Amino acid sequence: MPIENVILTTDLCRYCLMCRHVAPVEHVTHRETLSPHGIALVIASVRRGLLEWNEDSVDVVYGASDNGNSRAHCVFDNPLPEAIAAARSEIAAQGLAPASAYQVDAALQAWGTPFAQQLPERAERKGEVALFVGDEARYLWPQALPAALQLLQAAGVDPVLIGQGRSNGFIPSSLGFPGTAQEIARANLAELEASGANRMLVLSPGDYFTFHQLYDERLGIQWPEDVELEEVTPFLARQLEGGGLRLKRSVDQTPYAYVDPTHAVRAPARHAAPRLLLSAVMQDKPRELFWRKERGHPVGSTALQFTHPHIAGQLTLARLEDAQSSGARWLLSDDPGTLSKLEGLAQGFGLRVQGLFELLAEQLDDQTI
Amino acid sequence: MIDTQFLMEMIRSELAEIVGLDYVSTKESDKLVYSSDWAWMPQMWLDRGQPLKTPDFIVHPGSAPEISEIMEVANKYRIPVVPWGGGSGTQGGALPIFGGILLDTKRMNKIIAIDEKSLTVTAQAGIIISELEWAVNEKGLMFPHYAASSNCATLGGALAPRGTGTISTKYGKAEDMLLSMQIVLPTGEIIRTPPVPKHAAGPDWFRLFLGAEGTFGVITEATVRLDYLPEARLMRAVLFDDLGKALEAGRLIMTRRLDPLVIRLYDHHSTATQVKKILGYDYHGAYVVIGFDGDPDIAALQEKKALQICAELGAQDLGREPGERWWDHRYDFYYPPKSLKLPWMYGTTETVATFDKIEPLYWAEKRAVEEGFAEHNVQFIGHFSHWFHWGVMLYSRFIIEEPPQDAVEALRLHNRVWNAAMQAVIANGGMINEHHGVGLKLSRYMRRQYGEAWPLLVKIKKTIDPNGIMNPGKTGFGF
Repeated sequence: MPIENVILTTDLCRYCLMCRHVAPVEHVTHRETLSPHGIALVIASVRRGLLEWNEDSVDVVYGASDNGNSRAHCVFDNPLPEAIAAARSEIAAQGLAPASAYQVDAALQAWGTPFAQQLPERAERKGEVALFVGDEARYLWPQALPAALQLLQAAGVDPVLIGQGRSNGFIPSSLGFPGTAQEIARANLAELEASGANRMLVLSPGDYFTFHQLYDERLGIQWPEDVELEEVTPFLARQLEGGGLRLKRSVDQTPYAYVDPTHAVRAPARHAAPRLLLSAVMQDKPRELFWRKERGHPVGSTALQFTHPHIAGQLTLARLEDAQSSGARWLLSDDPGTLSKLEGLAQGFGLRVQGLFELLAEQLDDQTI
Repeated sequence: MIDTQFLMEMIRSELAEIVGLDYVSTKESDKLVYSSDWAWMPQMWLDRGQPLKTPDFIVHPGSAPEISEIMEVANKYRIPVVPWGGGSGTQGGALPIFGGILLDTKRMNKIIAIDEKSLTVTAQAGIIISELEWAVNEKGLMFPHYAASSNCATLGGALAPRGTGTISTKYGKAEDMLLSMQIVLPTGEIIRTPPVPKHAAGPDWFRLFLGAEGTFGVITEATVRLDYLPEARLMRAVLFDDLGKALEAGRLIMTRRLDPLVIRLYDHHSTATQVKKILGYDYHGAYVVIGFDGDPDIAALQEKKALQICAELGAQDLGREPGERWWDHRYDFYYPPKSLKLPWMYGTTETVATFDKIEPLYWAEKRAVEEGFAEHNVQFIGHFSHWFHWGVMLYSRFIIEEPPQDAVEALRLHNRVWNAAMQAVIANGGMINEHHGVGLKLSRYMRRQYGEAWPLLVKIKKTIDPNGIMNPGKTGFGF
């Protein structure tokens, strides 16, 4: 985002309080400064000479979750998350970003992921449909991939796996390293092109947002016009509705809840899909979390996990508390990053965590396979 | 005052012992963000690169007993305590103009109980109103304080300045929804008002804390009335050529007890500018939205009677769509870039008066502002939006698109325009505000507003807050 747009956006948001009610970080920290308007005011105040970039002000700017709630709830679509990412890139370029951000950037440059010291696997074949695996499904919640593949195959899709172990580019963009994000984006798109696919499926709303919107808006990289992009969960829901996927009902009657994953507010058309799939396999309706669907709050799977692990932990704990108060004892979600964070802290709440794809794969009707 | 690092550290340590280290901040970024609320004056000041007086400590208490202990510290060191809810006040009511302790109440955001039999909810005062609304919606209920600031203001912040919401014409002001509350007094006592507001057990003293804007203590918990979510909500719009006839229609609808949910009457200039900009309608005249809710049959009959009144006064029925569109976009007026915003100068000089006075008041205020400041190309706009059986609130605003760039000059001009508006309001039988509160901006008019009664209020203030620590400089009280 050009600097003039950062100025315009932060100036519009610095005294606007209208998305406060859905701001996840302020909700767990209670600090006005970590609300969308507080962060915008800090950025705008540096430009006006009222503050300078130092450990305190940088800490505020890196305290945003970048999960899209502020923009999703803005009537006029002011791109505050994009402006914050751009402000972070200025800070990072001056060498003033948190030390952890540079460490993550170095790992991303070396390995394409902050989660392992291992290079991404290359796609081994070509096909009409690609499935972007990414690094979270590869390293943080590996059980999602075989289950998703089983479901896709049951629906008649045999995708080429791409981006196995590589970031989608969100984390470096969010941390203020657009150059690294562009490198990763180009690598992902090159692999997609080499696969020959005219359709790409992704495992999470975070992936969908990154390819569909972030590449263009933050990195200036166009998504190929001839490639259709879709998330696996809505795809499966469509298959279920059309009779292309058959699921049987589970006998498990444990009260459960579906956790709308991090970035779910950035893909509002998806909200019904996981619930439709669950209605086909579960005995009862889900216990709905308070912070759900269009007001869904993230767990700590954004860049906060590196720069502000304490806040990231608070976000995850808040989702678990929300689930617990709903009466659920079993949590389901589809995003690998969200699942890994939930599972990390769920035991203390007496909650079982399971991937939606794993559950659905267990419930595949034999006649479909 | 806190003038040494030694004393600062002593106080900070005491506050940290009360609320925990994580909940006391002296960071520069926090100080800056909490130095301005939603008032034009501090925002303009910062916008021009001028620093404001900041709080010395930002404290996030988790309970009423913690606030009680904070009061003890504040009294001991004679430092101000400024309560902060959502910071969405437009009158500078939450500005820490003398420094001290900024008490952010948003950590106290729990819902304590929803009583589905009596239709009440008890919640901590720091809960955001929209969050409270969502919670009661899940039980088929609503908290009918539908303020434009619901997304950002707190429950305590609605009560402290006697706020009003969009559907107040039927459901009342925030204060009308209140059954009881818990308050921490400036001297540290934690008190509860009686469990119900309607009784005859002595004076109605609990109302002292409504409209005090934190100068008499901190509201920490409240029990408020709920209503069932309406089965039907019927919105419609009409257009009048003449403002007086539109006001008369509103008066008749109210005095004949047709119980409208909302009557939103935009004057000609608002219709031509605000309504056009936000809703996209190119109407010439006074655009009026009228709504009814509840039982579908009753609401339909009420609407029919109201439309008859409007028709008899020459209104053009615009149909349902322009009413529904307004309802769906009623808060869009407050989102940038289409809201009033810097670098413009603006102020909401809202007022309330009886039906016999409101139209002359409107014209007098309009003249005072437009003629008094013609050289600044001032615009005066207004709508009439909160109706009572005896009168109506005028939401009047002035806008200067090219104000002086110098901060001091801009502030002086702002004060002069306000002064002209308030003089016209008081001279024509209006109140200095209906729901935005007094804050810092209107503090100077309190003596004029109350005349001989004002010293009594000062005596009460001195009794409740002997050291004058609570939100000094606001609602007419000094430090």
